[in-house]
Amino acid sequence: EKFEEYLSIKSLRDGRVTSSFSFTTLLRDAIPRDPRTLAFDDDTSQHYTLFPLSLGQILRQYAITEMHLTLNAGKWNYDTWGYPDEPDVGVGAELRAWMAGDSISSIDERWQGVRNALAGLFCASLGSLDEQRTTSPRLSFPPEGALPDWGLPHELRHASHASEHVCTENLTPFLKLLPCKSLSGLATLLNPHRIFDADWHGIGLHVLWRPEGVEVRLNVQLVFDPLRISAQGKQDWSFHSLFDRKVEKACPVASSTRVSVELPNSGVYRVYPEPQEIRDGKAYYNLKNNNEAWNIGTMWPTDFEYRICHAALSSPDPALVPFSVTRNLLGPTQDRGQLSIVLTNNQQDTLQLLYLETMPWIVQFYLHTIRVHSDNVPRDDLISNISYVLPVPHARPATFESVLTLPGRSTLTFSMDVAKAFLRYTEHPPDAQRGWDLPPAIFTPLNQSLNGSMSLGSRVYTPSLLVDLATPDFSMPYNVIIFTCSVMAFIFGSVFNVLTRKFIVVRVRPDPPRNQSVSRTEKRLEDTDSDTSNELNTSKSGVH
Amino acid sequence: MHWLSCRKTITLCIVLRVLFALGLDFYLSPPTSYAYSVDNGDKVVEFINNGPGLLSASSPLTLYANLKESLWLYQRGVDPYGSGIGQVGVSPLYLAFSFFPTIAESGPSTTQLLSKLFGIFLWTAPDAFSAWFLVRIWKARASTSTKSSSSSITFVLPLIYLLSPYVILSSLARSTSVWENAILLGAIAWACESESEFKTKPKLNNSNSKSKSLLFLALRVHLSLDALILLPPLILLLLGSPESRLAEPGPFALYVAKHRSVKKQLEEKLPNEPAENQLRSTILRAALNVLFEFMVYWTALALISTLIVGHWRWMSTTWGTSLSLPSMTPNPGLWWYFFTEMFDHFRPFFLVVFNVHLLMYVAPICIKFQHDPLYALFILVGILATFKSYPTLSDHGLFIAFWGIFPEVYPYLRHPFPTTLVLIHSALLQPLFAHLWLSHGTGNANFYYASTLVGACAGGMAIVDAVWAGLRIALEKHGKGELKLVEGEEREIVTQQ
Repeated sequence: EKFEEYLSIKSLRDGRVTSSFSFTTLLRDAIPRDPRTLAFDDDTSQHYTLFPLSLGQILRQYAITEMHLTLNAGKWNYDTWGYPDEPDVGVGAELRAWMAGDSISSIDERWQGVRNALAGLFCASLGSLDEQRTTSPRLSFPPEGALPDWGLPHELRHASHASEHVCTENLTPFLKLLPCKSLSGLATLLNPHRIFDADWHGIGLHVLWRPEGVEVRLNVQLVFDPLRISAQGKQDWSFHSLFDRKVEKACPVASSTRVSVELPNSGVYRVYPEPQEIRDGKAYYNLKNNNEAWNIGTMWPTDFEYRICHAALSSPDPALVPFSVTRNLLGPTQDRGQLSIVLTNNQQDTLQLLYLETMPWIVQFYLHTIRVHSDNVPRDDLISNISYVLPVPHARPATFESVLTLPGRSTLTFSMDVAKAFLRYTEHPPDAQRGWDLPPAIFTPLNQSLNGSMSLGSRVYTPSLLVDLATPDFSMPYNVIIFTCSVMAFIFGSVFNVLTRKFIVVRVRPDPPRNQSVSRTEKRLEDTDSDTSNELNTSKSGVH
Repeated sequence: MHWLSCRKTITLCIVLRVLFALGLDFYLSPPTSYAYSVDNGDKVVEFINNGPGLLSASSPLTLYANLKESLWLYQRGVDPYGSGIGQVGVSPLYLAFSFFPTIAESGPSTTQLLSKLFGIFLWTAPDAFSAWFLVRIWKARASTSTKSSSSSITFVLPLIYLLSPYVILSSLARSTSVWENAILLGAIAWACESESEFKTKPKLNNSNSKSKSLLFLALRVHLSLDALILLPPLILLLLGSPESRLAEPGPFALYVAKHRSVKKQLEEKLPNEPAENQLRSTILRAALNVLFEFMVYWTALALISTLIVGHWRWMSTTWGTSLSLPSMTPNPGLWWYFFTEMFDHFRPFFLVVFNVHLLMYVAPICIKFQHDPLYALFILVGILATFKSYPTLSDHGLFIAFWGIFPEVYPYLRHPFPTTLVLIHSALLQPLFAHLWLSHGTGNANFYYASTLVGACAGGMAIVDAVWAGLRIALEKHGKGELKLVEGEEREIVTQQ
């Protein structure tokens, strides 16, 4: 077993600072459990020293080969922040697992089990990642590690819940999985007060298998804004200013504790303390070496200047990501709308993107209305390889995967009409008027290598959408039941009343002239069966 | 001569409506404003479905967008029925017409105009058929009666149907219900014209009208299951006659027995048995034959559908939908808000109640109006329009147009004016309240619910009045011969006091 800590800190273009912690535990020579042994209880005994036992038990019990769980808050701004160190930055909770299984039902049962177990472990509402949110996209989530060759097919289960919020109660159990908790090592810096104050924050758990063993990687990713807290408008940061803590001592069981600081490209700055090593534009520190308190930081002599101001004047900075994307749900009404995606290719080369939507059934796609425009010219040929799994109302989300081709330096517009569902009143969340958070769409660049095989680039998550669904009146169930039943009963009663009656002529005058007997004024139409009709009585009293 | 004029009326109305649809299309998408226009008149559909026909013009089962989506998926090899449960889908038979929306999606403007015209024609033609069938039903009903004073009906009937805003809205919204209406009216028209061993009058050269009628009803039931409740009156109509006998009520067998040829046949066949028993068994046998033929057609259509899509799951998405109401999309009916607001544990119970409620009318109405099965059919059409799970405006349009066939009951209606007012009230409020709720956000679901409730009241009032008038007419027409009997009853009542 080997435990490693690593922290990477980078100053961003807009003055923010991103820091990415990763705590990696490698369990050498371990292999995930073969699902065929689930029938027997004699699993290998679990004795770990560094590997988190509570997590290991879950992995063994449900025979998980690979698993990724992320809890994020905020919108990752690819255009100014670039790619994140950990690619899974979709807002809310996202869980996906690769499992092998003989039959699908067994996989779904284990998927449900692992959801609930993780929900208990992390105090997060992962139990709500149920069948209504579970999909199995074909291409977008390849296994990051290896899959053991048991002769069984491996299947992916993916679920995301955009309105799940990450908070202290998720961080505490997260820290408990670390061998040193937050007592020593880099985890000391994980101060909840500062983490959840960050502009963007997310925690993640990644379990994967490589031939050398099972690897568990816990990571925390944060984007701080030093400009916000700096009185002078300076970009300066240090451990102390960001986390309100310093690394007092290294974690004794960690085989390595390293920090890297990405050095700015230009300008005058000072990185302190003096880096032990500078390589590829990064300053590296090994915190294992000495036992003094570490407070790594960077200082600038001048105030931060927003480079956006320069962009209009001189040549803008090269784009950090090959393409940028915005996704919107248009339309003013609550019964239908239009999903619109605008993609801009920042490169000269043609770009192929794998586009994935995992949409809850409350928003129904109309694929026949897909329109693709490239620089306002219709180009329906730019979308290909559409695969679509239909949603099941009240049960299953839709999965839509396709490949979009972006010509170099162009803007591609994708639009599709959607229908918004009308829900039963019990299906609405307690704050129904707020709307529903829709999971982010995921774009993955397809890189064609020289030998013709396709490889997937880094995933890009769009921000989540909020859809405004029509709501019934929640205070009305009894009224509606009463009104509708009354109208139906009234019509039913009237129809059957008329149907079961017999029509006869009741003469009002005692001796009508025979010839005029059918004139209308002299007749009353009454019922022979019911003998106590008021009209009949009054007419009779008139007679007598 | 009248026949020719009726055709002229229909042609004129259709031309007017095609021109109207074209004009609306040009108004909504002027050819100059869009260099690239992909719609085949979809702008009009969108305008209707977001405007005057919001929620009411189409139900999820008849929505044009759902039809196009199913076709699109089917053409690309995706099963439009998915796993089947809870899905809302169109009948697989529509998928056989998968060439419809693809004609000249983008091309030169002349092709576009042609495809637009084709689209408009495709959704106006069924209305022309419907009007024509209505006239034929009327002719079959009127031909036997001695008085031919109301031949002007043949002009009025197409007008009522073709210029009814309900029908026009459904047609402009390209709701498949206009096809369903045409198919149902075709079934009824052929049933009226069919020959049977009990029919009293010689017919035109229409020897297989019965099969046509049953085939069309099977098709209609296949497209949406609710029409199944129209099967019993249609069987009566096939065995009996469409002529107006409201004034002379009596058992169904009585009318059949009146026919001399039937009597003769019976006497020749079995001279010893009592005639009544023979007659009954003969009618029963004929009815079972008809039922069997219907089942054969229905099964055949189901098999064809299964062949088209390759599995049986389409049944739960098309037929199951109208029974189990998976989609709570508002419509002019009574179901949607009731089941939106229903407590989950009572949902199955009330689904059964609502379905049984529809079925419950069939037997009493067929029994009471056995002397005039067309009238029973008419009332059941009204009940369907009011009480079925996914009604649309065109169902109401059909019910309203049907009133034109029964002019003899007008004098006996108790409250035609209030019914009309309530109907207009609801018709005007429905789009308004739908907009206030869904577009403007200034109203809520209760507004639209209230307007549909008023609409149901109007439908209910019309049904009750139709039943009343249909029974009341018998008393009036009894004539002086039976008045004595009635007077005797009257004395009984008086003596009871």
